[in-house]
Amino acid sequence: MDVALSSRAYYGRLGAIGLAGGLFSGLLGVGGGVVMVPLLVLWGGYGQRDAHAVSLGAIIPISAAGMIAFGAAGEVRLPEALALAVGSIVGAQAGARLLARAEERKLKLAFGVFLLLVAVLMVVGR
Amino acid sequence: MSTLGLLVLLIAFGAAAGVLAGLLGVGGGILLVPFLVLVVGMTQHEAEATSLLVILPTAIAASVALRRRNVGDLPTALAVGLVGAVGAVAGVLLALALDADVLRLVFAVLLAFVGVRLIGDARAVR
Repeated sequence: MDVALSSRAYYGRLGAIGLAGGLFSGLLGVGGGVVMVPLLVLWGGYGQRDAHAVSLGAIIPISAAGMIAFGAAGEVRLPEALALAVGSIVGAQAGARLLARAEERKLKLAFGVFLLLVAVLMVVGR
Repeated sequence: MSTLGLLVLLIAFGAAAGVLAGLLGVGGGILLVPFLVLVVGMTQHEAEATSLLVILPTAIAASVALRRRNVGDLPTALAVGLVGAVGAVAGVLLALALDADVLRLVFAVLLAFVGVRLIGDARAVR
C-alpha cells in the first residue's frame, strides 16, 4: 500500500473505484470486477489476491442495488435466476478448488478465444 | 423446451459458469448475459437484470468462503460496494435508457476486451 498517500485520499480512491465498478455493473449486468480488480491493483496498491477479495465483497451491495433497480423496472426473471444461482454457487466452489496453475494457460487461451466468438455472436446473432 | 428441461439446463449452465468463474477469476456475468440472450432468448435488459440476481448470492457465498480462510478485508469491501451501489443504480438507469441493440454492442466490446486480455494472460504465463 502507498504509505505516502493520506488516508483521506486513499479512501477517496477506493470510493471512486467502487463507483466505477458499480456503474459498469449496472450498465452491463456483470459484477464489475473486470473494472475494480485492475483499478485496485494499479491505483489502490492491492495485490492480485486481495484485490479479487475486495472486488468480490464490493459486488454484494453493488449487485443488490443493480438488481433492485432493474427489478423496479420489471426486468428480473426470478425462476430462471434462482435455477442459475443454485448451479452457480455449487460450481464456483468447485472451480475455486480445481484452480490448478498447470492448466491455467490453456484454459485462459481457450476461454479468451471463446469470448471473442461470443462477442461476434452478440453482434450478428439473434 | 419443457419447463423441467429448461430448469435442468439453467442449473447445469449455472454450475459450468461458476466453475469457469472460479477457475479463471472472471465473473459469471460475462457468461450469463450472452447465454440468457443467445440461448434462453431473453432481451438484453432481462438478461442483465437476471444476471445480477445470480451474481448476488454467488458473491455472498464466495465472500463467506474467503472470510473463513482469512483472505481479504470484508468491511472495506462492503464499504467500497456501498459507494458502488450508487454507481450501480446510475448504470441501470443508463442501461434502461439505451436501446437493447446498442447495449448488446457495448456488451460485445466488453466480451472482446476480456477475451483479448485472457489470451494475453495466457501468453504471459509460461
